[in-house]
Amino acid sequence: MKMSPALLIVGALMVFWASTFIIVGLPAMTMKETPSAIWRPMAEDEREGHRLYVQNGCSYCHSLFIRINDWDIGAERIAESGDYVAQEPAILGSERTGPDLSQEGGEHPDDWHKAHFINPRFTSPISVMPSWEFLGEEKIRKLTAYVQALGWKQADVRVARQQHWKKSAVVAYEAGADANITWLHSQVPAVWRPMPNPYPATQAALLRGKRIYQEFCVNCHGPIGDGKGPAAAWVYPPPLNFTTLRRHLEANRYIGGIFYYQIMNGITGTGMPYFKKHLESEKIWDLANYLAVSFLGYTDANIEPRGIDASYEEDWRNPYHPPAKGGD
Amino acid sequence: MPKFFDKPQSASLAFMVAGAFWFVVGALYGMVSAIHLVSPEFFSNIPWLVFGRERPVHVNTMLYGFAGTMLIGSGLYYIPALLRTKLWSERLAWVSFFLWNITIASGPLCFAFGFTQGREYSEYVWSADIILILSVLLLVYNTAMTIASRTEEQLYVSVWYFMAAFLWTAGNYPLGNVIWHPATGAMPGLIDSLFLWFWGHNLPGLLITPLATGAAYFVIPRAAKMPLNSHTLSLLGFWLLIALYSHIGGHHVLQSPIPNWLKAVSIVDSVAMVVPVSIVVLNLWLTARRQGKAVWGDPAARLVMAGIAWYIVTCIQGPLQSLPYLQRVTHFNNWTIGHAHIAMLGFGGYIALGAMYHVLPLVTGRSLYSQKLVSLQFGLITFGLTGFFIVLTMAGLIQGNAWNNGETVYRVLPELAPYYISRAALGISILTGASVGFYNVVMTVLAGRELSIAELQQGEEAA
Repeated sequence: MKMSPALLIVGALMVFWASTFIIVGLPAMTMKETPSAIWRPMAEDEREGHRLYVQNGCSYCHSLFIRINDWDIGAERIAESGDYVAQEPAILGSERTGPDLSQEGGEHPDDWHKAHFINPRFTSPISVMPSWEFLGEEKIRKLTAYVQALGWKQADVRVARQQHWKKSAVVAYEAGADANITWLHSQVPAVWRPMPNPYPATQAALLRGKRIYQEFCVNCHGPIGDGKGPAAAWVYPPPLNFTTLRRHLEANRYIGGIFYYQIMNGITGTGMPYFKKHLESEKIWDLANYLAVSFLGYTDANIEPRGIDASYEEDWRNPYHPPAKGGD
Repeated sequence: MPKFFDKPQSASLAFMVAGAFWFVVGALYGMVSAIHLVSPEFFSNIPWLVFGRERPVHVNTMLYGFAGTMLIGSGLYYIPALLRTKLWSERLAWVSFFLWNITIASGPLCFAFGFTQGREYSEYVWSADIILILSVLLLVYNTAMTIASRTEEQLYVSVWYFMAAFLWTAGNYPLGNVIWHPATGAMPGLIDSLFLWFWGHNLPGLLITPLATGAAYFVIPRAAKMPLNSHTLSLLGFWLLIALYSHIGGHHVLQSPIPNWLKAVSIVDSVAMVVPVSIVVLNLWLTARRQGKAVWGDPAARLVMAGIAWYIVTCIQGPLQSLPYLQRVTHFNNWTIGHAHIAMLGFGGYIALGAMYHVLPLVTGRSLYSQKLVSLQFGLITFGLTGFFIVLTMAGLIQGNAWNNGETVYRVLPELAPYYISRAALGISILTGASVGFYNVVMTVLAGRELSIAELQQGEEAA
């Protein structure tokens, strides 16, 4: 075979357009835009937020589809083709330097997002996301509207849940520090409240807890646990001052179970996220011991009621005494 | 001034110098992006220097600006040389030059201020898209007319690739950029990802690959002073490339809810890509058989040969990545970034640089300002890129495996820090290499030793 100009030009074009027909033409003719069960159209603010998402390159670090092997946020729902109807463009993304956002709507309340856009480190101390403060309040509001819509009808359910619980949380916070804690504790199921931390607060455990605290908690609750981290100015109700918990131990003894439940589950409606996807059991217990020892000066680690000690545990006796009635 | 635009090979030179310049610009943006992944508050709150805006500047400037521009430059020399004629219209090539570079410049000028279509590799705004397409169409016309006015009967393989690259891009680019939707440059709904990745993959595959392959087919036989190993193999490689490459964009969204038949096609053809790639690589290696000293001893040919080596690494890795089982771990993370760097800088970039240094003396009539600086640049970018590849692949495996086992993206971030830091450090090496290269090119044009007529004739006839 000899390459002539005609063969080169006609042949190259024919093969190219034949391939193009298969790969682009056929899908264009056969793929239908059928909304999925969760789909809904975007509102005006959300659409403008979507433009901002596209223009500012959010898609270079965040994907917009959940795969079958995902565990992170949104993993409850694997993406369907009907989730993307009428979005132009629906940028699926190629990189997850940050988490997938396809189901982000309602994961957090709006004020958490505002703090996070202004400086992601406020809410997520080890984040590598840039600060978007320069966008200004209005654009951050629209971006937030878009992000809160991701997940569509399911996001709406989550956002409504956030708003519902935010009302109660604000009422409790405004009723004063003690009433607030009483309300917070009352949201923890009764079986969890008289539960001590089953694991020893050894030096090693406390150091592990400290590391978790600094990677996840410090910029809301502050380095001394007083709730005055840099994010405190942005979220309402503000983060809890742990030191006040000293006078709110369950039966004047227990705090481990309450810590565990609140860290695992978060407090929907407030800036406090759930950490069950980030932290597995040991990390939460270690963190609970760290909080208790560092900020309450007391931990209920390893006290009664207790089961058989786990095989790794050293013979550790809890040296902390419950505070006198009233906490001080 | 008009005389300047008629000077033979002046457009070729302009493309090559511009390519060397864009390499520095692209590397600078890459450097800042790498720093931002280490320290997000470095240059914090500067709107035009925020990660989401600087990353597309880096990527597009490197792809279109560095590799693309430089490869077109060397092509505008070898096309007329191989056809034993003059470029049909030097002025038209200059028009292409200005149009092409306006589009490249629109990257740093527009993306930085939020003017972007936001789809990866298709970010240029609509007007810049149109300008680039015009430039490509003019290149098609100019190349076709040069072929028509040839005095050499046979069309050498480099000519096919150069011509076809623009024929394909003229169809590819407007389709992938959804040019008929000027506001968004996108289709509504999930199908957009098929249009996007059609071009997203054809950009390396049907623009950079044919340009780089054409350049390698030009340089290697000349440096080895051997005839091409096999004409039949080059035919096979060429036709298989277009038959297979155009089908595989779907592997970028393999885990998304696109139709299953498209996934199957993209996987099968991705794996099959091993064939045309091996054919090209073998054909060139067999051409240089027993001429290793001549090829590796020549700093320009060394870059081309190393580019071919990166090509085979990239194109073994690529098909593997398209396998669904492996992609569970390799997708969405730095593994892919490593792959993209060896493809674009390793394959496209090395060959662009090598071909440029090979052609530069023939175009300027001056010997290279410094062969040592070429070798230094080779060393710097080889050190940087090899390091990149290792570090990013490791980081990617850490991310992919951790996620697959249930760790969250946030939780894995601290584990990545050492790799991000190493990557930024290695970036210094690549940025330095780019700068050394630009300096060498400029100095060659300004102050290279003028070659005698005899030396020039010898150089040109080595083919």
